[in-house]
Amino acid sequence: MISVSKLLCDLDAEGDGLRYDAAAESEKAQIRERKQRRPVVVWNCTKQCNLYCDHCYAAAETEPAPGEMTTAEGKQFLDELAAFGAPVVLFSGGEPLAREDLVELVAHASDAGLRPVLSTNGTLLTEERAAALREAGLKYVGVSVDGMPERNDAFRGQDGAFDRALAGIEASQSAGLKTGLRYTITRHNADDLEDVVDLLADRGVDRFCFYHLDYGGRGAEIRDVDLTPDERRAAVRRVCDLTREYHDAGHEIETLLVGNYADAGYLVEYARRELGEAMADRIRGYLLTNGGDPTGERIADVDYQGNVHLTQFWQGYSLGNVRDRPFGDIWTDESNPLLGALRDREAHLTGRCAGCQYQDICRGASRLRALSAGDDPFGPDPQCYLTPEERGVDGESGVPGAAD
Amino acid sequence: MKDEPVSTDMSDPDADPDSPEPGEPALDSAVGAPRGDVTREWELFVREESGDPLTHAGSVSAPSAEIAREQAERLFGWTAETLWLCPADETRRFAADGVPLSERAEAGTPDRHGGEEA
Repeated sequence: MISVSKLLCDLDAEGDGLRYDAAAESEKAQIRERKQRRPVVVWNCTKQCNLYCDHCYAAAETEPAPGEMTTAEGKQFLDELAAFGAPVVLFSGGEPLAREDLVELVAHASDAGLRPVLSTNGTLLTEERAAALREAGLKYVGVSVDGMPERNDAFRGQDGAFDRALAGIEASQSAGLKTGLRYTITRHNADDLEDVVDLLADRGVDRFCFYHLDYGGRGAEIRDVDLTPDERRAAVRRVCDLTREYHDAGHEIETLLVGNYADAGYLVEYARRELGEAMADRIRGYLLTNGGDPTGERIADVDYQGNVHLTQFWQGYSLGNVRDRPFGDIWTDESNPLLGALRDREAHLTGRCAGCQYQDICRGASRLRALSAGDDPFGPDPQCYLTPEERGVDGESGVPGAAD
Repeated sequence: MKDEPVSTDMSDPDADPDSPEPGEPALDSAVGAPRGDVTREWELFVREESGDPLTHAGSVSAPSAEIAREQAERLFGWTAETLWLCPADETRRFAADGVPLSERAEAGTPDRHGGEEA
């Protein structure tokens, strides 16, 4: 996760302490230094969802799935996460609001010392439920919207999903919860990006998370609508420009890019062109602290059955199951050669990643996309859109068009 | 055994956790919850060099043994000398020393979500 607004406009926000070590200069609550060594844990606490989205990495279904962790198991699991030192638990799904015990689990997480946050499609979020979640200690709600109404509803498989998501956003805001947008950019909705930001910024939403498509679950089946390198470059540039335009107009929005650390290299190059060498160097320093792609290190996922995954998108492979061993024992067990190699991936990356000057702030981006596209977990990420010049490599063909 | 429901394969007499062999440690059964509903799960074992032990290295989701093998090779082909795959639903898992989550969880906690019965 890369905070574009922080890097380009020097905004501060909760959570930046985890990503940029900004705790010392922030007046807002920050995650402590000692916890940064542990992963943020996404818990897909149910596979059930009331929508059926084209890009769902969890391949969620409208019917309940067997083997879902019980309330008691969930609480014990949360206790073990807290004891391990995980800073944040992100309740996701499926649709987490499909779990009747969500408020109880959020309260338990908060009491255990975790920072509970929620990823939801928003359509089941009523004012009463939002208030109960806030009372339980929920810190943040991210609502998924993937375009203006027509495109969003087609993508999400239900007419009216856009309006119901907006109602959920309003319910969350009314309860006093910090509320943001989650938006996966594809060829279907790239043109809607600016209109969605304008619409929601007018409604008081000030945090926008833009996701690159990862090739997990149903996301692997829609690679044909993934952006081309040139389209991706244009979309990321638009996010950068939009952030600065809002900032210059006195309306500070927080914008983040998720899921493709080629963005780190692009942001340095963007800053060099638009803001000068000193700013580019400063941004690179922040991104170095950030640490590049977090797969298998700073992000972890546990699914509804307790299987532990390297990221939330990589559901097809599991390191182990928390029903067998506590999460921390699984996560620190580097007898698994893949886990160990991912944590030492600089020694394993091949192809264009091997000699890239931005390897230290990117770390090869998505290993899942590399695996999906090239059958090699250490091969190049097909979504990289940096030019050979930007990567510090001369004479290479088959790369995106001219840099801008 | 606590009140936690167990998967049907644990009712197999060959794996009856309540009937350990004499002299064997008491085995718990509650690690037998389903692993993957839509797609079959395959436990994965890797040996990196011929003198190394065969090590459990997680599991892959795949609809057939052949696809599971392909996935395992993609994940571990760069380092593995040997790969073994076992259908998770045909694998009996017992906790002799560790305690499974369902029993680590607070005993007697009202389960308002139903778990496997949901």
